[in-house]
Amino acid sequence: MAAPGEYFSVGSQVSCRTCQEQRLQGEVVAFDYPSKMLALKCPSSSGKPNHADILLVNLQYVSEVEIINDRTETPPPLASLNVSKLANKARTEKEEKLSQAYAISAGVSLEGQQLFQTIHKTIKDCKWQEKNIVVMEEVVIAPPYQVENCKGKEGSALSHVRKIVEKHFRDVESQKVMQRSQAQQTQKETTLSS
Amino acid sequence: MTEIVHLGVIINIARNVVSLSRLQARDQDHGRRTTRSSGSPSCGPSASPRARGRMHGPGAVSLLAPPSTSKLPPGHSALLPPNELCFTFQISFDGIYANMRMVHILTSVVGSKCEVQVKDGGVYEGVFKTYSPKCDLVLDAAHRKTAESNAGPKREDIVESILFKSSDFVTVHFKDMDSNYARRDAFTDSAIIAKVNGEHKEKDLEPWDGGETTATEELEALETDVSNGWDPNDMFRYNEENYGVVSTYDSNLSSYTVPLERDNSEEFLKREARATQLAEEIESSAQYKARVALENDDRTEEEKYTAVQRNANEREGHGGNTRNLLYFRENKYIPPGQRNRDVLSWGSGRQNSPRMGQSGSGPSLSRSGSHTSDFSSNSGADQRVVNGGVPWPSPCPSPSSRPPSRYQSGPNSLPPRAATPTRPPSRPPSRPSRPPSHPSAHGSPAPVATMPKRMSSEGPPRMSPKAQRHPRGHRVSTGRGTISSGLEFVSHNTPGEASTAAVSRGGPSGGTWSSVVSGVPRLSPKTHRPRSPRQSTIGSTPSGPPLSSPQAGTIPTESATVPVPAASPTSASPASNRAVTPSGEAKDSRLQDQRQNSPAGNKENVKPSEASPNFAKPENKGVSPIVSEQRKQIDDLKKFKNDFRLQSSSAPDTVEQLLNKNREGEKSRDVIKEKTDSSSKESVIETSSSNTNSTSGSSKPNSPSISPASNSAEQKRGPEVTSQGVQTLGPGSKQEKEDKEEKKDASEQVRKSTLNPNAKEFNPRSFAQPKPSTTPTSPRPQAQASPSMVGHQQPTPVYSQSVCFAPNMMYPVPVSPGVQPLYPIPMTPMPVNQAKTYRAVSNMPQQRQDQHHQNTMMHPASAAGPPIVATPPAYSTQYVAYSPQQFPNQPLVQHVPHYQSQHPHVYSPVIQGNARMMAPPTHAQPGLVSSSAAQYGAHEQTHAMYACPKIPYSKETGPSFYFAISTGSLAQQYAHPNATLHPHPQHPQPSATPTGQQQSQHGGSHPAPSPVQHHQHQAAQALHLANPQQQSAIYHAGLAPTPPSMTPGSNTQSPQNSFPTAQQTVFTIHPSHVQPAYTNPPHMAHVPQAHVQSGMVPSHPTAHAPMMLMTTQPPGGPQAAIAQSALQPIPVSTTTHFPYMTHPSVQAHHQQQL
Repeated sequence: MAAPGEYFSVGSQVSCRTCQEQRLQGEVVAFDYPSKMLALKCPSSSGKPNHADILLVNLQYVSEVEIINDRTETPPPLASLNVSKLANKARTEKEEKLSQAYAISAGVSLEGQQLFQTIHKTIKDCKWQEKNIVVMEEVVIAPPYQVENCKGKEGSALSHVRKIVEKHFRDVESQKVMQRSQAQQTQKETTLSS
Repeated sequence: MTEIVHLGVIINIARNVVSLSRLQARDQDHGRRTTRSSGSPSCGPSASPRARGRMHGPGAVSLLAPPSTSKLPPGHSALLPPNELCFTFQISFDGIYANMRMVHILTSVVGSKCEVQVKDGGVYEGVFKTYSPKCDLVLDAAHRKTAESNAGPKREDIVESILFKSSDFVTVHFKDMDSNYARRDAFTDSAIIAKVNGEHKEKDLEPWDGGETTATEELEALETDVSNGWDPNDMFRYNEENYGVVSTYDSNLSSYTVPLERDNSEEFLKREARATQLAEEIESSAQYKARVALENDDRTEEEKYTAVQRNANEREGHGGNTRNLLYFRENKYIPPGQRNRDVLSWGSGRQNSPRMGQSGSGPSLSRSGSHTSDFSSNSGADQRVVNGGVPWPSPCPSPSSRPPSRYQSGPNSLPPRAATPTRPPSRPPSRPSRPPSHPSAHGSPAPVATMPKRMSSEGPPRMSPKAQRHPRGHRVSTGRGTISSGLEFVSHNTPGEASTAAVSRGGPSGGTWSSVVSGVPRLSPKTHRPRSPRQSTIGSTPSGPPLSSPQAGTIPTESATVPVPAASPTSASPASNRAVTPSGEAKDSRLQDQRQNSPAGNKENVKPSEASPNFAKPENKGVSPIVSEQRKQIDDLKKFKNDFRLQSSSAPDTVEQLLNKNREGEKSRDVIKEKTDSSSKESVIETSSSNTNSTSGSSKPNSPSISPASNSAEQKRGPEVTSQGVQTLGPGSKQEKEDKEEKKDASEQVRKSTLNPNAKEFNPRSFAQPKPSTTPTSPRPQAQASPSMVGHQQPTPVYSQSVCFAPNMMYPVPVSPGVQPLYPIPMTPMPVNQAKTYRAVSNMPQQRQDQHHQNTMMHPASAAGPPIVATPPAYSTQYVAYSPQQFPNQPLVQHVPHYQSQHPHVYSPVIQGNARMMAPPTHAQPGLVSSSAAQYGAHEQTHAMYACPKIPYSKETGPSFYFAISTGSLAQQYAHPNATLHPHPQHPQPSATPTGQQQSQHGGSHPAPSPVQHHQHQAAQALHLANPQQQSAIYHAGLAPTPPSMTPGSNTQSPQNSFPTAQQTVFTIHPSHVQPAYTNPPHMAHVPQAHVQSGMVPSHPTAHAPMMLMTTQPPGGPQAAIAQSALQPIPVSTTTHFPYMTHPSVQAHHQQQL
């Protein structure tokens, strides 16, 4: 419960507990007293450097707010934002999600969806055709979306798509390994902390 | 060294000027910026976020609106009431929108996927779209996450967008956000560094020590290392080994061509012979040689376009007055382009230009071709035409050529002009004149500043003389060749001056070079060109010129006469050379000859002939014959007029002659021959052009031309003439060129006459123009008139002189700022006239007319130009330069010992004559002293003007001579020399008139050529214009009856008035400069006069019109001047002068016509 008139200074470490009994902790990025909105910056859940999770917390539904350490320094100036870039991002994200939803609704496996995302990063001209991924109107990738499933007219396009698919699964494998190790670490940490 | 130093000074000055202008501009910008910044600060850093916040407000509203219609997840309140929307709008900063940081963080995550946990524990995932002031959130493509749904949502589960009221959600989780994603400055150093994890510390910089010896060697090795990267074979091998790629590359290029199968069949042998023949034809062509020369030119850019090359020997070689004169000529600035052209091309340059080829190939052909091509047809011609010196254009081919071209063309004339004003001083030192050429525009002021030093120092005397001469030479060159031919000649001359070296160079190009060398040097134009580029080379020649000048002084008549004869021989020789050597030489020689001839012819025939000698002015001046000749010329005035044109062209010759004089000593006969040739050429040209060269010119020239030119010469000359004609026609172009040439014009006037001859040659090509020139008679008359006037009739001479002066003035002006402006302006105004002139340039008649018109045109243009551009500065600069010159005349002597020493003779006479005239100016100048160098230029001009007037005063005939001298030789040195040269002066005047025209043209051309100069030129032009007008007015007053009537007193006064400011400044600035300035002023004056004169006969109206234009221009100049400081006075005076000028000019014309 945030005491009235008490403010969170930007940069302070704050922890709280939500009404869902979820423990939250992070660095204060912004706080709006009238709306009781607190923005926190937490370490990235995916562990990516230079990335962070942003939490917008409605203090109306939070309890046990604690200021772990206060920061009196003047917060850094705010950088100007490229609004158009953000708008574009919002549009593309939406389209991607809808596209993904379409594929999912079609019963495409997760692997297939991931592969589609990967291909889409490199080649924009790809779409779902039922469960098949059609790249550049030339190459068709049918489930289970392995390299050998890439079919089409022999040529640079096909070979290129095969390279992408090949690399995709290679990366997925390596990612899984990493995630496992990370997950184990996190579990250990949580157990230790708890 | 001094020269270099001077150049440096000039350049620095020029830079300063430029920088000043820039500073001003910056200041203005600053003012604006400050105002802007003052406004913006209030916004502050936070402004942007807030602004965005606001932005979002509306955006949110709009975004929110849709949600209202959208489905909302169960248990969630829905849409925002319309009221809220409105409310939001009205209070954009309401709610969280007022929280800058909240707005920032929420905005930065827009477009990201997020999970919204609502009160009931449900989690919705979607793309964060926007938010409201009350922190209501909108998610696009949202769906409710289910515990079991590891996979993505199905299509039917996704809701287009959902609005979550702030009271309905507990937390919103944005995963893996890149805080820098939307940063605008994501790519700045600070932004990039900010991304660096951990402690980021810049590494300490360590000094690089490459070792003492190895460093440079290695570096050099790197520079010389041609092996760039892999050897192709290595690449092939690597690809083959690593990628299995086998290259199909075949060094025989069998895929693209078929190997030649040799056999002994008759057909094959025939074809082989044919191929060989074609190859020989191609390789023997002048163009081919010129192009090859360009490619094989080992000279550096510095050498080609920047370095001031002067031969100490030549310089020193010049003796006494003549030496000085020669020196001046030699010293005259040769625009880098010109130099190059002269030197190079004339090796390559010529070749480059059609001229080159022409010159290189057949004398006649080359000349005609080059000329025609330059003048008549081509842009090259235009450039050349503009410049007056085709050579310039040719130089243009080279990189620097363009600027140079203008400069060159302009430079020739301009150098004188610009040089004159500023250069005069600068030139005197060494070759400031050259620097001026480039700097001319810019440098003019600088030169002035430097000039004094130079003047004081060794350089000044020589410089001044040379500078003057050079200017003349330039003018002459422009004048005669007017331009193209002149230029070529100049360039050629320069080469020639450069010495045999050039010839040797010519070797390849063959005749061209040789011709160039021989002929070119002689040709004032060439000299002019050479001056800048070859001045150094000319150095030797200069020495010759000086010598010649001295000789001229003593021997002037002889030299003049001799030159003529010699010229004829020379011309003949040239002609022969032409015939023998490539036409190029012949052309050159012809051109030179023509110029010389014209001068010589003029001198011989009348004073004009001497005038033509202007280059030889010293000589001519020195030559008593001049006087006698002048008188004779009076009789022959018309002829002289023609001659004058020729002379104008010959003027260059004079310069050349000066140079030649040196040579003349050796080649005096040749020179004379050349002169005769030139005259003959001129005559030929005239005859051929008939009208263009004008009767007198033709008559005299004819005789000369006939004799010297000889048939072969004539034919060649014909072309040359045409070329000259073109050049003359070029008048328009010449005018442009005249800017450059203007300086030279005085001397060049004579050359112009030669130019006319060239014009005749061109006529064929540009006959149309030439024909106009016939009308041009007036032009001829102008040219002739100028020369003849000067030489024959004192009054006329005076006018002519005045004209010459005007041209000189023009030159200076052009040089500084005017030149380029002039071109453009002239172009525009001129279009009709100029167009003809320029294009017509090829045409002799038109050329003359054009010249006149062009001159006028030019003036207007210049006038317009000046105002438009930084005329004021230019004016000021010009004025400054002028003032110095003026000073030199009177004060100069005092101020500048050098001048006296160098030009003592001239000065004494000049001074005397000038003294009268000068006295007022000087006085004024003292007062003006306060004014800056720029003013000096103006002053100089005014001085020059004065000088001109003074000359008249001192001696009517003499005065005319003086004028011619001052104007022709650039008032300063020339004027000084004038005393000795008096005869020459007259000639110069004639030449000056031609020169004047040329100058005017040059001015136009010059401006165009040198961009830098443009401003200065413009200003200079404006100044010149004003000055010229003033001068003309003065001249009129002083000179002759008409002038006097004009307002001898008033005019002088007005000039004086204007001068005073200018002069004062001048005084303070540089006495030494004064000389240059004088020269310039004279040129300027000449130009106007020339215009007037030219216009007088055939097209008085036009002439007048030009005058008017001039007047108009002057105002601009005045304005500029005003802007600077003493400007106002000048303007007024100028304006007043202009009126006078117009009238005087008219009168002059009438006289000329008479």
